[in-house]
Amino acid sequence: MSLDPQHATADDVRERAAIDRSVRYPVLFFFTSAAAWLFVATLLGFLSAVKLRVPTLWEGCEFITYGRLFPVHMNALLYGWAMQAGLGVMLWLTARLTRSECRNPVTLIAAGNVWNIAVALGVVAVWFGAGRSLPWLDFPGWVAPLLGLSYVLIVVWLFPMFHRARAGEIFVSELFLLGAAVWFPWIYFSANLVIGKGGSATMGAGANAWYMSNLMYFWFAPVALAATYYLIPKIAGRPIHSYVLARIGFWVLAVCAGWTGFQRFAGGPFPAWMPAVGGAAAIFALLAVLVTGWNFRETIKGREKLWEYSPSLRFTMFGALMFVIFAALNAFSSYFGVSKILQFSHFVVGLDTLAVYGFFSMTIFGAIYYIVPRLTGTEWPSGSLIRSHFWLSAYGIATVVVTMLVGGIAQGGAIQQWNLGFGRSVEIGNPWIVGRIVAWLLIAFSNLGFFYQLALMFLGRGRASDGPTLIHKKPGEAASAEAAAGLEPEGAGV
Amino acid sequence: MKSTLWKNLAGLGVAFGLPWLLLIVVPYLRQANAEPVAYAPADAMPAGAVYPDPANARFGSSDRGAAVYAREGCAYCHTQVVRPTYAGADMWRAGWAGREGEGLARETRPGDYAGEKVALLGYQRIGQDLANVGSRISSREEMHRHLHDPKSFVLHSVMPAYRHLYKEGPNGKPTPTPDAEALVDYLMSRKKDAKLPGDAPAPAPAN
Repeated sequence: MSLDPQHATADDVRERAAIDRSVRYPVLFFFTSAAAWLFVATLLGFLSAVKLRVPTLWEGCEFITYGRLFPVHMNALLYGWAMQAGLGVMLWLTARLTRSECRNPVTLIAAGNVWNIAVALGVVAVWFGAGRSLPWLDFPGWVAPLLGLSYVLIVVWLFPMFHRARAGEIFVSELFLLGAAVWFPWIYFSANLVIGKGGSATMGAGANAWYMSNLMYFWFAPVALAATYYLIPKIAGRPIHSYVLARIGFWVLAVCAGWTGFQRFAGGPFPAWMPAVGGAAAIFALLAVLVTGWNFRETIKGREKLWEYSPSLRFTMFGALMFVIFAALNAFSSYFGVSKILQFSHFVVGLDTLAVYGFFSMTIFGAIYYIVPRLTGTEWPSGSLIRSHFWLSAYGIATVVVTMLVGGIAQGGAIQQWNLGFGRSVEIGNPWIVGRIVAWLLIAFSNLGFFYQLALMFLGRGRASDGPTLIHKKPGEAASAEAAAGLEPEGAGV
Repeated sequence: MKSTLWKNLAGLGVAFGLPWLLLIVVPYLRQANAEPVAYAPADAMPAGAVYPDPANARFGSSDRGAAVYAREGCAYCHTQVVRPTYAGADMWRAGWAGREGEGLARETRPGDYAGEKVALLGYQRIGQDLANVGSRISSREEMHRHLHDPKSFVLHSVMPAYRHLYKEGPNGKPTPTPDAEALVDYLMSRKKDAKLPGDAPAPAPAN
């Protein structure tokens, strides 16, 4: 397929429009319901951070303790927003890459409804006292079959598309999508089976840590990277720098990342090789991420100015940068000398938020800014709202990562000082929680513009097209990000 | 792309299947089928005693207590892990690793969690580690007071007061609900310092 917009034939354009029309309703369904969950999750993130800093606020009410609010926030963010938006991106990307129309949009919307009902039941159950205190797996056991089943019902329809795709080399984005499609049910059911069956209490906790790491490397990362590998060449108007590097990055990640996870409990009640292997695998995974990041950088090299104008490129490049930082911090903190201090400190919250929001969500915003106009046939109403969405989110994520890293070193270091009273570590760590409060406030504000614009687009109130919405440019002022950046089209299609 | 599809799917399966098998399936089956170990005569334990003690974690209504502990999200601020010295200074913190006075202070082992449905190892350490809190806090009354009003223990405690687990008693005194009693059962059973079979008594930590 021609990846190059300048060289698209009239047939190409017609075919793409037909594909977009076929996935229009399910993809918009996933995006809008995900956005609603994001709204809930950001407010809860803010509220839970406030409650951690000021526990006496409305003290005595069980529904607003940190211990309830934080898991509700995290699970709403993960399953309500992140995975659901990711499913929408997966569906659209698969249809486009395999050049096949979606034949059953109604089934997908029905399965999407089951997903939303499952998440809502899980969130309410945790809130009203059925939580399991297992990070990212807090939903009570009976939610798992429902959530897993709806996932399978959604993703199973991707396989006929892959199957129908015309013969030829498989594009790296398709590899990532294929991986994400099969890996999630595998890790989700494995973790839930080990935890639900009892039998081995410590392996339940270990499977939990392994699940968190694998959800990140085997679902969030592949979906986001599939989108980035698709969008960067499209927007830069040139092919991927190196397909070989892209494949190496994929397979190194696929082979190594499954071993990560147990390093979250370095020194925990497991055979010592398990956390050790986890730490080593995190370092290998970093290599894969660096290769991938390098590939993106080389692809965009010389055309970085596009970053200024294209909303999608801006978000996806930022996401890719955050992925590199996440993988580096993850590898760094897996080293025993460092995990001593950071393992159970504020740092873990910073790292998890960096992964889910800084990397995955930001990349997905980029994809949404690209996809939705193609589904609705209208353009985003305001470039400056996109710009504020980007900057406030970027400042938010920077705030939470920096404060949790520094605060984590301070707090974890104080706990390591065994002859210092434990209360000192609380006193030292606590002020940094303000960083979490500020971060979620910034993120909540940043998303208001996103919700507003997405609602307008969904209701058919987008801007009638006279060229794409670009940052720093008035509508119609430039026909493309390339024109806005004053770059000549390279026309080097694939 | 049919053959490519199957080839790639097989690759994805192998890449992920190997760690899945070796990190999850095999260790789980080994753990789930682990037999209790009898003590050696040199351990000077009562005849027939085994590690892990089957009565471990079956203290009163501690199963229900574990559910209360989980639903209140205690594990988000409290761990139940004592790391060996190469991985952290936990064992040197007074009371964390067990009864130092009796030479029973050590890192936590898988057997210490036997009988629990899932080990709530925790997410962060905003509060103290609770692996051996049952030995640190001696009476149920003290534990109840800690849950009802943490600030009466530590003035600057950031732990919320779990007053919703208590009812107003006849003379204005808070009366624990069954959930609070179960939670205290669970917390009082947090003693992960049982003597290990064939282990010489651990030396008391240097001060």
